[in-house]
Amino acid sequence: MATEQSQRTGGGPRTGGGTLSGVTRWMENLSETGFAYLLLTPALLLLGTIALWPLLSTFRLSLFADSLTGGLGNFAGIQNYVAVLTGQRNALLPAPFLPSSLTVDALFGSALTVTLIFTVVSVFFETIIGFGQALVLNQDFRGRRWVRVAIIIPWAVPIVIQGMLFYLLFQPGIGLFIGREGNPTILQTLGPFSATPLANTVDATLIIIVADIWKTTAFMALLILAGLQSIDRTLYDVARVAGASKWQTFKRITFPLVLPSVLVAMLFRTIQAMRIYGVIETVAGCTTVPSLSCLVISSFNNTLVGTSATIAFITAGIIALVVSVYIFKYAREEMG
Amino acid sequence: MAGEPESGRPDDTGELTRGPFERWVAKSIKNPERAYRAMFYVVTIFFLFTTLFPFYWLLALAVTPEDALYEVGLLPAGFDPTVFVDVFTKIPFHVYMFNSIVLAVTTTAIVLVLASLAGYVFGRLDFPGKSVLMLAILAISYFPPAAFFLPLWQLFNGNVITGLELYNTPGAMILPFSSLFMPLSIFILTTFFGQIPDGLEDAARVEGTTRLGALFRVIMPLSAPGVATAGVLTFIAVYNEFFFSYLMNNGEPSNWAPIVAGILQLQRAGQFQITYSVMAAGSIIAVLPVAILVVIAQEKIVSGLTAGALKE
Repeated sequence: MATEQSQRTGGGPRTGGGTLSGVTRWMENLSETGFAYLLLTPALLLLGTIALWPLLSTFRLSLFADSLTGGLGNFAGIQNYVAVLTGQRNALLPAPFLPSSLTVDALFGSALTVTLIFTVVSVFFETIIGFGQALVLNQDFRGRRWVRVAIIIPWAVPIVIQGMLFYLLFQPGIGLFIGREGNPTILQTLGPFSATPLANTVDATLIIIVADIWKTTAFMALLILAGLQSIDRTLYDVARVAGASKWQTFKRITFPLVLPSVLVAMLFRTIQAMRIYGVIETVAGCTTVPSLSCLVISSFNNTLVGTSATIAFITAGIIALVVSVYIFKYAREEMG
Repeated sequence: MAGEPESGRPDDTGELTRGPFERWVAKSIKNPERAYRAMFYVVTIFFLFTTLFPFYWLLALAVTPEDALYEVGLLPAGFDPTVFVDVFTKIPFHVYMFNSIVLAVTTTAIVLVLASLAGYVFGRLDFPGKSVLMLAILAISYFPPAAFFLPLWQLFNGNVITGLELYNTPGAMILPFSSLFMPLSIFILTTFFGQIPDGLEDAARVEGTTRLGALFRVIMPLSAPGVATAGVLTFIAVYNEFFFSYLMNNGEPSNWAPIVAGILQLQRAGQFQITYSVMAAGSIIAVLPVAILVVIAQEKIVSGLTAGALKE
């Protein structure tokens, strides 16, 4: 640093001794690129050690066989991936990765399919309800501010409390939806729920889907609302002059123009839904609903380090696949 | 779900429903605006009901006395607010709350400093490698926490660098929180810094202010709303986080375990030592900080979430 002090002609404001002014002058004389990277250093250092290194390291771990002592076994190449993806590893895992058959129990009981079912169903309902909420918030009415607060609040609830809330709501005898023995509620006699829904895989998955819709629809609504508000108002005036009905206006103007925002919102929700873990752990436990993230942790706890890393990386791969599908669709929407 | 949305309608369209229903229908057919208006109120009340009802029910469950727990329904069966004290006497819930808030505030401070610098660079400077770096930061935020977990767990247990053991300390949570939530703040601040006109910074530079001086005295004050937005969102995200909060400590309040561990401790103590009302009361208490934050800072939350997400 001291060597730079010779460059007196730099843009330095005041001259004077001391290391502080030396550093300042050194900074003034950096090129724009140098200055940019200097300011980025702390952020990149943190992301490098706490995000990039773990990712690469997880990939490395996934290339080694499991060892019973909890350490790493021999180098195995892609054998872990082959074993997990073909279902050969199912017997060793706390829950199967792939379903062994196409029965309802097998589909809800294995990590990949239960995660996909959860993601598709919850994102589908969140999109529809979120669109409805966005249309409501897009109106001008008295108390709009408070309606918006009410809609956002579930989004701000900590995951563990969201889990506790639904754990209590579906607690037999306590919760509104599940009665005690001999006194079943209408949801049990007519339909989906058994006497102990929190211990039943299919029921618990349904409850977790409802919990997720309750909490995260607000996020969807806010993104769609931003899309709605960016629509040029004059288009609506034109439509009114042309005598279009409300439905026609929605179909021809609102919907196509808001679609890119809806896709972005769906993309974000899909990414987040694929990593579902906390609600499951709180509501029903990972043995009842074994999502992909659950399986990573539970196989790690069973000293299957290599397999655990493999599943973590496959999860990331599936998310990357979903992201590229959405980006492809989004690009097509933007072009056409 | 459960509730009849129609139940709230008389308030809003009272004068219409009081008269014969047919007359209202006839009027609506002549004037569709009326029907849309009524539909709008029904839908709004339905949304308000589904989002707020669970909180009301949690409160009803919390104040129901222990011996009447199985009678709780839409209304509380009795009134006994002492559970709100039990939460703190049966387990050290205040310590969990304190830990959560300290972790959230510390992470927010770190993220704001680092993300301000990065946001300034991405929003106002041009340099080679800029778009690649932004894309890389975006890509990192796509990965699930599970993909970072194993190496970080080994690192924080001293298996990578001997002597460096962060498990059961705040560092084991603050480091992952900071790196996982920083990308959102970087994107929010990039947008805000990018909107400040170049002329202001140039003027300050001509008058002899240093680069850093211009950043802290001109740019930062102008982008204060952006910094506040990023701060609010980071605080909420950390306070609400589950994955690392749960896995990077053994759940003891003395080991910096946050409310995740507190709520789970209430739940796992079972219905004998800890009643369902205490669980409900604990949940209400732990939700208060973020609920207040949402009421105060809702504009910032809305603008921040949309700016961060639509930036892409």
